[in-house]
Amino acid sequence: MKILRNIGHVAVIISAVMLGVGSTAQAQEFPTRGIEFIAGYGPGGGHDTMLRMMSKIIQQEGIVDASINVVNKPGGAGASALGYLNSHSGDGHYLMAATSSFITTPLATDVGLNYEDFTPIARLGIDPTILVVPANSPIQNLDDIKSSERVLNVAGGGRGQIEHIATIMVSDALEKELNFIPFQGDGEVATAVLSGQVDFAMINPGAVSEFLKSGRLRAIAISTEERAQAFPELPTFKEQGYDVIASVFRGVVAAKDISDEAKNYLVDMVEKVQETPAWEEDYLEPNSIVPGYLGPDDFAKYLEKTNELYKETLVDLDLISE
Amino acid sequence: MQSSIIELINALSQFATPSNLLMIFVAGLIGTIVGALPGLGPSAGIALMMPLTFGMDPISGLSLLTGVYMGTMYGGRLTAILINTPGDAPAIVTALDGYPMMRQGKGGLALGISAVASFIGGMFGLVMLIFFAPVIAEYAIYLGPPEYFMLMLLGLSMIIVLAGADPLKATIATLFGVLLSTIGSDYVSGNTRFVIMPELIEGVDFVAVIIGLFGIGEVLVNIEKRVRLDMGKPRFRIREFIPGGKDLRKISMPTLRGSLLGTLIGVLPGAGATIATFVSYITERKLSKTPDRFGQGAEEGLASPEAANNAAVPGSLIPLLTLGIPGSGGTAIMLGALIMFGLNPGPMLMIQSADIVWGAIAGLVIANFFLLASNVLLIPLFVNALRLIQRHLGPIVVAFCLVGAFSINYGTFNIWVAAIFGLIGYLMKKADYPAGPFILALVLTPLAENYLRQAIMIGQGSWAIFFSKPLTTLFTSLVILVIVIGLLKRPLMKLWQSRKGG
Repeated sequence: MKILRNIGHVAVIISAVMLGVGSTAQAQEFPTRGIEFIAGYGPGGGHDTMLRMMSKIIQQEGIVDASINVVNKPGGAGASALGYLNSHSGDGHYLMAATSSFITTPLATDVGLNYEDFTPIARLGIDPTILVVPANSPIQNLDDIKSSERVLNVAGGGRGQIEHIATIMVSDALEKELNFIPFQGDGEVATAVLSGQVDFAMINPGAVSEFLKSGRLRAIAISTEERAQAFPELPTFKEQGYDVIASVFRGVVAAKDISDEAKNYLVDMVEKVQETPAWEEDYLEPNSIVPGYLGPDDFAKYLEKTNELYKETLVDLDLISE
Repeated sequence: MQSSIIELINALSQFATPSNLLMIFVAGLIGTIVGALPGLGPSAGIALMMPLTFGMDPISGLSLLTGVYMGTMYGGRLTAILINTPGDAPAIVTALDGYPMMRQGKGGLALGISAVASFIGGMFGLVMLIFFAPVIAEYAIYLGPPEYFMLMLLGLSMIIVLAGADPLKATIATLFGVLLSTIGSDYVSGNTRFVIMPELIEGVDFVAVIIGLFGIGEVLVNIEKRVRLDMGKPRFRIREFIPGGKDLRKISMPTLRGSLLGTLIGVLPGAGATIATFVSYITERKLSKTPDRFGQGAEEGLASPEAANNAAVPGSLIPLLTLGIPGSGGTAIMLGALIMFGLNPGPMLMIQSADIVWGAIAGLVIANFFLLASNVLLIPLFVNALRLIQRHLGPIVVAFCLVGAFSINYGTFNIWVAAIFGLIGYLMKKADYPAGPFILALVLTPLAENYLRQAIMIGQGSWAIFFSKPLTTLFTSLVILVIVIGLLKRPLMKLWQSRKGG
């Protein structure tokens, strides 16, 4: 009988808790609690940096009152985060950073989700890729890589990501076999190249700008059409005679089927963030990101186009079959 | 060395806000009570507190968890001394000499001595952590995927060698953890494995698993056993808790030896507080001029293991904070917490997030002082709290678990996960399968797989990468040695015994 009484206690407490939660969830206004920013990669990477800067600006400028919490869901080149956001369909309290892997991971894996399973909120800019080597590396330019006798190891973000695509493009342009090794986010890529575990890395400039300044890493080339403002000394691949142009969009998406109210709230919040001077000074410039804001409808069209483009590229590069 | 002290003083001054101090104090009290309750140990304490830290800033959240962790080490001794029922595994040895002292009417002294020994052990371990962690972290940056993979393999294989009675069951529990961790999207490529419903793309949530295993599972076991603690009505005067000069002199060397052993054993992968207490107890008995007194209420036999189990906590944080490698179930949960707070466990942690690491260390230093004070002055409070809580323990823990599981994701899926693992935890406990190796494997396997695949890719397909550098070769040899010892331990023992018999 004592067991029954104990079970009774438990039941009462559980139902009390459930009722409490249920009644708050039914309230109509948005947001009903804090908003969660989801980074699909580890801390210190491009996704993480962007979301943490957004959250800082939102708090500093008082753009919205809701509390913002950045969480990292690394694993599977963004697949973990896709699964996580998808499990919150219909709930507007989640905003995820989206870059190339938002398109390429669904194309290259059997994750069963794609860009259409999420609500586009905004594109915030375009981010180039740079090739960096440890300070003491014998590699001084792209020709040194071409003339190397062994197969070189290259670190980059997840498989099928822009860094991987760029590595294959470099490999094709130099006519030199390269061995690509995926790491969990730019923080790990930076550690791998700093410690000399790999010969060079393909990475977003923002993730290594500190190490470039302190002289622990050297940049060899940047994947833009023309030299970037933040790195006037750094030649492009094109200048060095190899046609590699690759850059990645940075944007944010929400879960599928969220209410119009929630969508407008998020769109409005992000639009205001990217208009602040702090966004320009503390995020775009130090990370050498080219501004390029697109609202939800234009971003949706852009994603559709990018999906087609990446699909072709991945097929061309033999990363996926039709 | 100097920079460590400066960092710590900075962190202490920034950390010491009234709300943080109150939180640390409460964390210590909760930890003490959780530790004192039989069945609920350090892992359960951290698991139950984890959902409370969602949304906290990382320094406060980590301090809450480490405060609870440290508190459980103080708490386990309470019930061990008072009623001969160790609150958790590291307190088993405490009861050997603590309870006889209680029966001889020296219960107050036993509580006092063990509190002081716990404090000194904890401080000793913290000093080691403060001075050695930055040094190790500086060199750890040169470790790459092959070294990390071998270190993780070392941790997993050590646990099997050290598993006392039944290495086979420890192996099965470890492999179950390995198997469970493969569910979800593959960490390297993103392809899915065993994903039968979309919620599983990111894998089985580790917080929900530990909540079920250590919270609900323990409750189910306790309901069946109907544990009733007869706390009696111990009455002590405050004066009795404070050991005199003579007693302190007697325990000074054993306490220092216990502190050193505890820290060293805590650093080892796979070994933790429990093993540290056994080793230090045996050491003291060997060194003693009067080994007969052990088990009859010897102060040394109480002080040394108590110092050792508290020193093992900061000791086990050294590999966690510098390499991102947990050595035990408790630190495996802490690793999950670090990742949850958006920190990057590994050598970069001390470099990129130095303020957070030092803040958490400062929190531990403060917690240790609070715990000494509360464990000397508030014994009657703990006794009454235990008497009150144990009657309603089941419902309280289950409510905590279900709300916690819900708040991970604000969805019902993780409540089911916690419930299922509550049942699994109950069955594992009934059949004597250890939960520690299972949790360690669950946390380590995705990382180990990632490092293994990266290592092979860096080696461009060749396994020779694991013998490419002196350090890598050393780690690989250690792993092979540990596995060989594990396999040969039993046959050798049998051979030795039959020779002795013959």
